[in-house]
Amino acid sequence: MIAFFDQFRDPLLRYLSSFGLAFPDCEEVLQEVFLSLFQHLDQGKSSDNLRGWLFRVAHNLALKSRYRIRQDFDSRADTGAAEFAVDPTPSPEDQLANHQTQLRVLAVVEALPEQDRRCLFLRAEGLRYREIAGILDMSLGAVSISLARSLARIARSAER
Amino acid sequence: MKHDEHLPDQQLLLDVEGEISPHDERLVRAHLSACWKCRARRQELDNAITGFVRAHQREFEAKLPPAAGPRALLKAQLSQLSWNAAGVRSGWPAFPRAFAWGAALCGLLVFGFLFVRSTMERQNLSDRHALIVSTPDSSLTPGATLLASRPAVCAQENIKNKVVPIALQRKVFEQYGIAGADPHAYEVDYLVTPALGGADDIHNLWPHSYSHTVWNARVKDALEDRLREMVCDGSIDLAEAQREIATNWITAYKKYFHTDQPLAEHCDRCVE
Repeated sequence: MIAFFDQFRDPLLRYLSSFGLAFPDCEEVLQEVFLSLFQHLDQGKSSDNLRGWLFRVAHNLALKSRYRIRQDFDSRADTGAAEFAVDPTPSPEDQLANHQTQLRVLAVVEALPEQDRRCLFLRAEGLRYREIAGILDMSLGAVSISLARSLARIARSAER
Repeated sequence: MKHDEHLPDQQLLLDVEGEISPHDERLVRAHLSACWKCRARRQELDNAITGFVRAHQREFEAKLPPAAGPRALLKAQLSQLSWNAAGVRSGWPAFPRAFAWGAALCGLLVFGFLFVRSTMERQNLSDRHALIVSTPDSSLTPGATLLASRPAVCAQENIKNKVVPIALQRKVFEQYGIAGADPHAYEVDYLVTPALGGADDIHNLWPHSYSHTVWNARVKDALEDRLREMVCDGSIDLAEAQREIATNWITAYKKYFHTDQPLAEHCDRCVE
């Protein structure tokens, strides 16, 4: 189980961040994911395509977690959203380095519809179209259209 | 697919990705061999993948928090779960009903005894920890910082007593083995305060006793204010301030306030 954690923790964290969750919340979701995996295997359930299983469970738990956090925000109106926001100021290293293209790409990705961003992040973690379709409950064609649309935007940003 | 039409992005991407059907693949390849425009477009999509993957990786390289803490937490939770599962699996043997009732009664008595004893032990443990938690355990809380510069830190408001999400507070208590302690006796405190670029990370959080020690959370707040002032007026580097407070905040307090004991104005509720 710990070997699975070592193998999939970073890819899952990257994917969970596409839900707009802060890293501590992502870590919390991850703990739940791996505890669920333990129970899943302990109950003798299928161990086919565990990578797909992990991403699907992470996806569902992230949606729940985000819902909970939003409820929490609503109930604590005095807690400003800025409190949880990531500091957008680039580090001096970033300012020095020439990352213009990278920043443009990231800006394009940030502006993508949520579902398109998830498709892209899952594909970047090596999942095939069929697996992405299963995780996001979409058709194979919709995955392909989504990725083509996103990459066309990224390609356009690189031309600028 | 007509030969005089250009291929849509979707089809080109399926080809790039190796997701295309064998039949379509033949048609696409035939078209590409004749059409420079589509070949160039295919290359652009491939480049877009490269560009995204690079940006995506670089974005997270610096940001991903270390895995050691969450890994240890998972290990602990798994062993607890295994222990529980083993207990459940051992189950009840197929005793006759009278024996089963007898065993249940004995079980209740034993459970009652264990419950009373564990409650007392938990209380003792809480008391013990309440007395000792004034400096963090460096293996659990080594400190974690954002990549923030001095101007960025000083430009932002002096963030004091930033609220830590309840779930995270609970995790910190569990990590320190004081899950049953009174939460009001502690401030789940940032070791390196966000006002000095400290990160929202479990490795930067620890349960700091409010009033059970001389070196309590209020005294540390005074040190944080002092260090921030010094960073912003240029008399100390940000990195140095972060290091000093993460290494041993009490030593840092003594050094920067030139005293061996907390000053009276920082210590309205200190007790010996």
